[in-house]
Amino acid sequence: MNGRHDPELDDVLQDEELRRLAGLLTATRRAEPPLDDAFRSGLRRQLMQQAWEMGEGRPSLWRRIFAPPGLAWVGATAGLVLIAGIVVLNSMQQPGVFQQVVVQSPIDGGRAVALQQAILVNFNQPMDHSSTEAAVQITPATNVTYSWSSNTLAVQPTSGILAPNTQYQVTIGSGAKTAAGQPLTTAQTITFVTQPPAPPTPSPSPTPRAPATPSSLLTGEHQLAPLGGNLAVSSVQWSADSSTVYFVDSKGALDAVPAKGGGVSVVAPDGVSSPAIAPAGDRLAYIRGGKIEVLTFATGTTADLAVAPVPTLVGWANDKLVWAAADGVYTQAGGGPQRLAPTPTTGAVRTLSLAPDGTHAIYTQDQNLLLLDLASAKSTQLGQANATFFGWSPDGSQVMYSGPGGNIAISDVKGNSVGTVPAGDAGWSSQNAILLGSETDLYQAHPDGSNLTKLASGTYRLPMWAPNATAFTFFRGGVLWTATAPALPPLPSVLDQAAAVVNSFMQARQKGQADQAGALLDSSGKLAYASGGLNLLINGDPSFSRFYVLTQEVTGTQPDTTTFVVRLVLTHGKLDVADYEETLTVVRDPATGLFLIDQATAGAHRDLGKGAEVVGVVVAADSIQVTFDSDLDPGTVAEAVQVLDSKGTPLDATITYSTRMVTISGLNLKPGAQYKLVVLTTLRDFLGHNIAAEYDLQLLGPVAKSSADHKNGGVTVSPAPASPSPSPAPSPAASPTASPS
Amino acid sequence: MSETPRDDERELVEQARRDPRQFGALYDRHFQQIYRFVYSRVREQTAAEDVTSEIFMKALKAMPRYQDTGRPFAAWLYQIAVNAIADRYRTMRPAQPLDDFHDLSVAGPALEDLAAHRDELRRIWGLVESLPHQQRTALVLKFQEDMKIEDIAVAMGKSPGAVKLLIHRGVTRLRDEADSLRPVE
Repeated sequence: MNGRHDPELDDVLQDEELRRLAGLLTATRRAEPPLDDAFRSGLRRQLMQQAWEMGEGRPSLWRRIFAPPGLAWVGATAGLVLIAGIVVLNSMQQPGVFQQVVVQSPIDGGRAVALQQAILVNFNQPMDHSSTEAAVQITPATNVTYSWSSNTLAVQPTSGILAPNTQYQVTIGSGAKTAAGQPLTTAQTITFVTQPPAPPTPSPSPTPRAPATPSSLLTGEHQLAPLGGNLAVSSVQWSADSSTVYFVDSKGALDAVPAKGGGVSVVAPDGVSSPAIAPAGDRLAYIRGGKIEVLTFATGTTADLAVAPVPTLVGWANDKLVWAAADGVYTQAGGGPQRLAPTPTTGAVRTLSLAPDGTHAIYTQDQNLLLLDLASAKSTQLGQANATFFGWSPDGSQVMYSGPGGNIAISDVKGNSVGTVPAGDAGWSSQNAILLGSETDLYQAHPDGSNLTKLASGTYRLPMWAPNATAFTFFRGGVLWTATAPALPPLPSVLDQAAAVVNSFMQARQKGQADQAGALLDSSGKLAYASGGLNLLINGDPSFSRFYVLTQEVTGTQPDTTTFVVRLVLTHGKLDVADYEETLTVVRDPATGLFLIDQATAGAHRDLGKGAEVVGVVVAADSIQVTFDSDLDPGTVAEAVQVLDSKGTPLDATITYSTRMVTISGLNLKPGAQYKLVVLTTLRDFLGHNIAAEYDLQLLGPVAKSSADHKNGGVTVSPAPASPSPSPAPSPAASPTASPS
Repeated sequence: MSETPRDDERELVEQARRDPRQFGALYDRHFQQIYRFVYSRVREQTAAEDVTSEIFMKALKAMPRYQDTGRPFAAWLYQIAVNAIADRYRTMRPAQPLDDFHDLSVAGPALEDLAAHRDELRRIWGLVESLPHQQRTALVLKFQEDMKIEDIAVAMGKSPGAVKLLIHRGVTRLRDEADSLRPVE
C-alpha cells in the first residue's frame, strides 16, 4: 500500500523506500483536534474589535510618529532593530527564568455578576500598570477607570455600574507587560454575565420572625378604654383620619377616644349599636332606640331616621345610608325607604354585615352563610354549612369566611376563591394586609396567604385596622387597645404574577421540559408553539443558554393582560453569539385567576458583538427608559433613538442620556395604542462604533398604573401559622425581572 | 492545504487589506486549518488557543502591509504560525501522545491489514517529532498540511530548493531511524 502519489516529490524522493514512507505519511488522516467553539467566536470578536479600531482612523502611535514616508523607513528600521533585540534577548533566556503571566478573575465564568461589582483581574506577578491598562479591551464598549491593589487590577465602569443582563468579555491584550518588562505571551480573556437590573426603589423588606421569637414587632401598644364584655368588631369605628376611635361600651353608650390615648367622650349615652362612619368621614350613623341616627361632625347635629321594620344594621353606599331589617336591605330614596333586596322569608334569617361599599350583605339562613347582591337580589352561599363570617376587604369586593381545614377562605363577591389565610380573628387593611389575631398571638399576611409574619405573642382579639393601615385596635381582657403594625411588602402586582409565569415557562423550555412549558399556554398559545410555529424547545448549537425580560407592560385590564418581550440568548461554547426576542401576551384566565400565555411571536436572530445593544426597556405613559449595554456617544443619542406612532411619525419627546440609559420623556402614550421604539444605526458607542443594524421594538401604550397594579391574584396558598415562610422580595413593576441561568 | 478559488480569495484579501474590518471572512476561512496545525504542534488545547490568537492578531495587524506574492494567503498565515510556534516552543516539546492527534488509520482505499500498519504509522510519526526542527516543520507542512513546496517555502522563509532538501533529509532520516528501530524478525 502507499498513499496518494505526489508528483512534487518525484524529484525529491527517488528511493523507493523513501517514497513508501512519504506515502504513509501522506495517507495518515488527521484527526480533528478538540476545539472550544467559544474560543473560536470569542477570538473573532476580539479581532473584529481590533479591526474596528484600525479601520476607524485611529492611527497607531508608530504611524503617527513616522508619518512622513522618509521617517517611516527610519522607524521601520528602528523597529526591526528593536524586534531583533527582543528576539535575541528572548532566545538567550533560560527556560524558567521568566514566570509565565497568569491572569485570573474571581468573576470569570460568572452568570449573575452584581452590577456594582468592579471587574477584578488578578495577575500572578507585579505588572507594569500603564501597559497593562492600555492592553485592556472590554466588550461591550465600556468607559472604565483603573485602580491597582498589589497585583490586582480593578476595572470599574466610570458610570459606577455594569450593564444588566449583559455578557462582558474583558481581554488583557498581549501588549500588557510585567513590571520586569516581560510581555504577556498571548491575550487572555475573562468572560461573565451580569445580573438583571436592581429594582428602581428598594422594597420594604419582610421581617418574618420565628414563632419562638418573643419580641413584638408592634409599636405604640397602649390601652384606649375598658369595654367590659362588649366584644364585637361591629362596635368599633375609626375616624377617616385615623385620629379617633368610636366604640360602643358595655353600657351601650357610643364613646369617642383619641387614638393616641386620652379622655373618653360620650357621643350618645345609651342603646347604641352598629356605628358606621360614612366613606367621606363626615358623618357617623348608628342605631339607637329602633331608629337610625346620623351625626354630622361639622355641625355636631344629629338627625333621626325612623324606618320600619326596625333596622338591625346600618352602613353606607357612598354617601347614602343603607340598613338591614328583618325582611331585607334598604336604602333611602326620594320617596322614603326603598328595599334594595329582600332576605329569604323561610328559615331563621339574620343579617350579619353590610359591605363597606354598601353593595352586598352577609346573612345566615339556618346553618348557611350567604352573600346577598343588593343590585340583583341574588344570594350566593359561602363555604359549607355552619360557615362563619370573618369580614370584608376594605373596598367590599372580597369577603372572608371559614373555609376548609379551619383556615379562612377569601372569595370575591361572585363566590370565586381568591385565597386562604390561616385561622384567626381577621382584619383587612386598605394596604391588603390581613391581621390574624387570637388569644395567643398576632400574625399578618396578604390575602393570598403570602408574607405571613408573626407580629407578636399575646392576646390580640378582633383586630381592626385604621384607614391609615398602620394602626389598629384590638381587644384584650375586656379592654380596647391600639398598636401600630409594620407594613407588609406590597402584594405581587399583576406584572409580578404574570412575570412568574413567564419565568416558569422559559425555565421549563431551557430545561427541555415541554410538558411543563406547555401547561402554561392556553389554547391559542399552544397554537403559536404548534408545529410550523415557534419552537417550544430550542435545540442544537448555538444553544439556548439564558433569557431575560427586555420589557414588560400591563396592556389590558378586562381581563388582566400583560405583554412581555423576552430575549433568548444563544451561546456557542462559553460565548453569547446571538439572540432573538419573543413577544408573549400573558392573560389572566377569568375562571382560575391564573395567568397563561395566550399569544407569542418571535423576532429575527441577531448576531451579538456588533455595537451597542438594548438590554432593557421600561415603558410608562409619559416616558420610556432604554438601557444599553455600552457607553454611548451622547452626541448621537438624540437623533438615533426615537419613538414612532402607529403611522410611523416620530413623537415629540425630550431625550436625555446618562449611564447607558436613554430616557425619552414628555410622551403621552395612549393605553393600548401601538408604538415603535427605533434605534437607528447612527447610534455610536463611545469608541465610535455604530450599531450594525437598526433595532426596532414594538410597544403598546401602558394602561394606567392604578388600575393595573396590586390586584390580588387567584393563587391559593395556605401556610401554617406555626411556620411562617420567608417571602420573596417583590419584583419592581415594569422592569426586567430575574432570569435564572 | 485546502484549495480555495484564488480569485475569490484575492478579492477577500484585497478588501481586508484596505479595510481591516473585512478580515473576518479570512478568519472564518482559515481558522480551522491554522488551529489544527497549531494544535498538532503544541498538543495542548489552551496553548493552541493562545498561539492561534497570537497568529490571527498578528495577521490582522499586518494586513495593511500584506503583499500578494501569488501564493495562497494561507501560506502567509502558516509563516506567522511557524514563527509563533517556534518562538513559544523553542525550548519545549509537546508531551502529549501522538495518537491523540494523528488518527492512525489510513485514508483512501481500505487496507487489508490495517492493524499491521498502525504500529508503523505510529512509529514513523513519532520519529517525525524527533527530527530537527526545520526538517520536522517541512515534513509536517508537506505531509500533514498537504502544502505545495513553494508554499512551504513561503511559510518557512526559505527557497523551494531548501525545502526540498529538508524534506529529503527528513524522510531519509526517518528511513534510517525506522530501520534501526525495526524489530528483528
